[in-house]
Amino acid sequence: MQATAPTSPRPGFAWEHAVGALGIVLFVVGQYLGLFYAPPERMMGDVGRILYVHVPAAWLALVTFTIAFGAALGHLFTGRKGFDWATEAACETGVMLNALLLLLGSLFARPTWGVYWNWDPRLTSSAIMLLTFVGVLLLRSALRDPDRRATWTSVSTILAYVNIPVTYLSVRWWRSLHQVQSSPQTVADTMVLVLRLNAFAFLFLTIWFIARRWRIAARRAAADAPPPLEAA
Amino acid sequence: MSGQIVGGWEFVWASYGATWIFLGGYAVSLVVRGGWGR
Repeated sequence: MQATAPTSPRPGFAWEHAVGALGIVLFVVGQYLGLFYAPPERMMGDVGRILYVHVPAAWLALVTFTIAFGAALGHLFTGRKGFDWATEAACETGVMLNALLLLLGSLFARPTWGVYWNWDPRLTSSAIMLLTFVGVLLLRSALRDPDRRATWTSVSTILAYVNIPVTYLSVRWWRSLHQVQSSPQTVADTMVLVLRLNAFAFLFLTIWFIARRWRIAARRAAADAPPPLEAA
Repeated sequence: MSGQIVGGWEFVWASYGATWIFLGGYAVSLVVRGGWGR
């Protein structure tokens, strides 16, 4: 198959940098508001400020794994390499966000629950989510043939995604220490504003992460592709 | 206020610091691996 992407970065402005710059601005403002503007939560006090980073990390991890799932389906149905690169990019970004959300959850759990970790359904399914997508990336890195690698990445991503709805609904399906999903109707307007600002910051940064990682995957695929046959 | 957790700022700072390290570190890794171009 002929290469469809350059093997090294081309000069010029990539569209995702504009999104990333917006994400950085929102992130800095959101972090400031989360630390100094939002009021202490009624029960959790200042520890509640951790939710302004923990919740966006969780949301975007789920969104990113959903993108990976969609891209994996796209690759299996169409065979287009771009979907394979998107699966790789979204899986790696999702793993980073998943690891962050677990760390932030532990830092939130210690002062509120008294422990850093508990084998609660939400925490356990979130840990399984991390391990399965790490497994997808390990499997991908172990396969040399590009076509087999792409197919197995797609299949394993779809299998790993089965746990995502379980993770999301675990707080409703089972008795859990973790609180159920809140709604803007049950949260003060100031807190909703700060949470949304941080969520959009995470969203724009995640778009930048996935787009940049997609370009890396595309260049690696082009570099690995055999040179085109010369015309006789 | 009764029943409210008091203190805990060390966990708040650790959380925000970890967020900066994770997101910033991943961004740097992407630039190192892929540069800035298209």
